[in-house]
Amino acid sequence: MRDRARLVFFLLSLANMVLLGLALARAARPGWAAYQRSYHRLEAQSEPNAAAKAAVEGAPVAIAQIILPGLQRVDRCTTCHQGVENPAMKGAPEPFSYHPDISRHPPSRFGCTICHGGQGLATDLAAAHGRVAHWHQPLLPREYVRASCGQCHTKGDVPGVPELAEGRRLFDTHGCRGCHRLRGVGGTIGPDLSREGATRRDPAWLERHFLDPRAVSPNSVMPNFHFTPGQAKDLTYYMLSLTGEEMSNYYTSESVIPSIPYGRELFARKNCITCHSIGGVGGKSGPDLEGVTRRHSARWLDEHFVNPTLVSPGSTMPAYDLTSDERTALIRFMAVATDKDAEALLAGGAKALTPEEAAVEAGARAFVHYGCVGCHGQGAAGGVANPNSQGGQVPSLIHVADDYKKSEVMAIIRDGKTPPLADPAMPAPPLTMPSWKGTVNEEDLHNIVEYLWSLKPRGEGSRW
Amino acid sequence: MNRRSFLSLSTASAAALLATAGMGLAGFFRFLYPGVFYEPARRFKVGYPADFPPGQPVFLPTEKVYLFHDPAKGFSAASAVCTHLGCTVQWSERDRQFDCPCHGSVFAADGAVLRGPAPRPLTWLEVTLSKDGQLQINKNRPVTDAYHLLIPA
Amino acid sequence: MLKSILRSIFRGDPPSTQKGRSELVFYNLWLHIHPAKVRKEHLKLRHTGYLGFVSFFLLLILGATGLALMFYYHPYPPRAYQDMKDLQFVVFLGPFLRNMHRWAAQLLVVAVFLHLCRVFYAGAYKEPRQFNWVVGVLLLFLVLTLSFTGYLLPWDQKAFWAITVGTNIVASAPLVGPVVKVLLLGGHSLGIQALLRFYVLHVAVLPGLAAALVMVHLWRIRKDGGLAPSPSGPREPSAPPRETPIPSSPEKSYGLMGIVTGKPTFEVLVPEEEEAVFSYPYAFLREGAAFLATSAAVMALALLYNAPLSEVADPSKTPNPAKAPWYFLGVQELVSHSPALSGILLPSLLVLALLFLPYYDGNPSRRPRDRVLALSLFALVVLSYLVLLLIGLYFRGAGWAWVWPWAKGAGGGA
Repeated sequence: MRDRARLVFFLLSLANMVLLGLALARAARPGWAAYQRSYHRLEAQSEPNAAAKAAVEGAPVAIAQIILPGLQRVDRCTTCHQGVENPAMKGAPEPFSYHPDISRHPPSRFGCTICHGGQGLATDLAAAHGRVAHWHQPLLPREYVRASCGQCHTKGDVPGVPELAEGRRLFDTHGCRGCHRLRGVGGTIGPDLSREGATRRDPAWLERHFLDPRAVSPNSVMPNFHFTPGQAKDLTYYMLSLTGEEMSNYYTSESVIPSIPYGRELFARKNCITCHSIGGVGGKSGPDLEGVTRRHSARWLDEHFVNPTLVSPGSTMPAYDLTSDERTALIRFMAVATDKDAEALLAGGAKALTPEEAAVEAGARAFVHYGCVGCHGQGAAGGVANPNSQGGQVPSLIHVADDYKKSEVMAIIRDGKTPPLADPAMPAPPLTMPSWKGTVNEEDLHNIVEYLWSLKPRGEGSRW
Repeated sequence: MNRRSFLSLSTASAAALLATAGMGLAGFFRFLYPGVFYEPARRFKVGYPADFPPGQPVFLPTEKVYLFHDPAKGFSAASAVCTHLGCTVQWSERDRQFDCPCHGSVFAADGAVLRGPAPRPLTWLEVTLSKDGQLQINKNRPVTDAYHLLIPA
Repeated sequence: MLKSILRSIFRGDPPSTQKGRSELVFYNLWLHIHPAKVRKEHLKLRHTGYLGFVSFFLLLILGATGLALMFYYHPYPPRAYQDMKDLQFVVFLGPFLRNMHRWAAQLLVVAVFLHLCRVFYAGAYKEPRQFNWVVGVLLLFLVLTLSFTGYLLPWDQKAFWAITVGTNIVASAPLVGPVVKVLLLGGHSLGIQALLRFYVLHVAVLPGLAAALVMVHLWRIRKDGGLAPSPSGPREPSAPPRETPIPSSPEKSYGLMGIVTGKPTFEVLVPEEEEAVFSYPYAFLREGAAFLATSAAVMALALLYNAPLSEVADPSKTPNPAKAPWYFLGVQELVSHSPALSGILLPSLLVLALLFLPYYDGNPSRRPRDRVLALSLFALVVLSYLVLLLIGLYFRGAGWAWVWPWAKGAGGGA
């Protein structure tokens, strides 16, 4: 009895020793240490003498981490990706290669995961790249990484990422807000998209969804907009940029990049061409702008935007409310603008407006901005299917002036409306008019109604 | 089993248990030693040399370091931690000296102790040029006050 | 010199003599809870399964690993979740210690439950051990509460929603339910306050209570006359004689040795000298082996299986189905049928029945063949709970709807 007990006791002591030893051995050999040692060997190759080589090769290994309080994350990617800031590692094998063009966004301020995705806290390959269970932010495929720029650069054009601006434009012009809420504005028929890029971080799914919503989401009520593959990709970029990430001022302060395309966009939006000409093409009430950046310094132009009469007494140009980045963008655009640009701008329909026309114009913009076109169609012509509503479609609004008073239309927009059922036995139509009270302000409401009244075809008499 | 193997079994058990306890204790202390440090990096980049024209020293508050740029000698960096009890010293441009607010220690511009109770001069830190052309300070590498990084124009 | 230091630490005679072996136990704070001699029968694995020891050792392992984990834990969301990731990825032995803590906790729930079943089967809760049964049942609930509070600390989705479900089971109790929930959570829903409260309960209040109750539990084993003899063996004499004179010695007015040499209780409990052996080394060797086996099992599990960790807690997104920790799934299954009646009333009655068992079970016999009704009833209750638990664990999917575990995409596991 005693012998057997002693033997069992001994074997169990041995088992404990072995198990603890195994645990220690596993803990003592982390995978990242091997990567760091091979990086040290790679670095040592370029050292001139044996002593320096040995010093570099023998450098201690430790987990590297970048603490980013402003982005609420800690990134340990540089534990293995040691060469990201070392230009000598251009073309080095992964994970050691140099990150081109990184000086504008130094890893010490931006880390890695805010753009690339992945799991910054992890230190083993599969987990760090986020391709594990219970981690929703896997590495973005290389061609979609640039979508992340849109998290901070929320306005204007991002050089090198035309997809973002185009995706944003498509979103605004196709009435997506009619059904989808984005940062507090929009309808409630579809899901809120404010964090779509974080919750649905799957470019392939998003692209297929834009090409045909029901292909990936069989019960979707979203109409098929027949986007081209290119447009689907643009929208996917935009969606991926909507991560709802809370960032400190440091990251959001430079949201606008004063690029030439952004300057061009502003030039068009502010209708500069109605007063100014470029190379002789355009309005004549202001000076021609060709070569203006050679006649005046950038500083003079900048101050002129802020207060025209102070810099150029007698100027009739109004002071526009432009941010510093917007002024810079306009100056950059003017430096390269030609008469071709002016012709393109004039073709785009810039003209002087009466107050009534301005209201209609603003109404048309609001009709697009709040996403009314998503259901009521481009030009309010209707046509979006809405099964089991009367007519089976969301109604056209072109003849609304014949059937309603302005106050009635305003009330419907404010309070919403449930379409009457075509067949009471069938399920209710998926699309309903949401209540826009609190979202659409009184001025926009008024403008939208003016716009709708303007749609009534000219020369057609009233029904009465 | 005879008495001999009996004893050796006890001894072996005791040895195994002692080894386990030893490993456990060593493992526990290794466990307590942080794997990562939630503090400003000991080796850090401060920016490009052009960002720091010669003149007044620049105080880096997170890292508690003064960065000097002497037009003739180049860049040097001093730890702003008082060698007495660890308060942060303040540079006085008027007197060209460091004052410690805690116990009145005063250090000369070269870090030497002018007035007590600080026992040692301020620590000078290695400044190097990193591979991407930025200035890099390494707190793990103290240097003498004669150390400067001169960047040829 | 060394000898005199050793002599000052171990005061008795060397354990080569019988007196020395007794003194080794008496003069040692940590060992004196043992009798100097134990019945051979009690050392047999099949008598107790060493389940009490295993539970006690698991508690020790949990205390040690838990203390270590506290060095790296902030009870503050979402940092708490980041701490889990740090343990996993950057702390030396971090994954191992977290795994050990996790699996030891799960084993403890199993061990105390089996311990309770064993004691019931042996009828060991009967006179004179009624009170120790009550202490044991209280310890079972403490263990469950410890496990429950610890479940929240990783602050992942699984933890968040399991505890949300769990605390809402509590809230469905009549009258006091809602108030208890607010007291527990420090709010109306799970958040920063709840995490801090669960943390304080988990690392200070509950372990303190458990330690106190464990001490009472162990001490009462001795005071109630040691382990209960085998139920099929001869009946134990009802109570030790009370009027035993305590012999006095010239140096001390009171001495434990005096009681033992005077053979008051010992004689009653160990009538035949050949049925008993000295605790040193026989009992200690086996207890040591039980400890080593427990720790080896926990370490092996920790090496083989990682403690689960899902996404960071997101109060706006409920996973479907949201399940309580596995040992509460039986209750969740009951709650799903009717919160007030089957969810609270039935379990409460069960708890009371368990707690006061020794006081209404009037059958003095501990032989199984005299206790057919009691044993069948107990087996019925235990089996019903296990069935409910298994249903909750494997047969409930999204929306708590019935699913077959082998069906594709069934939401099993807890």
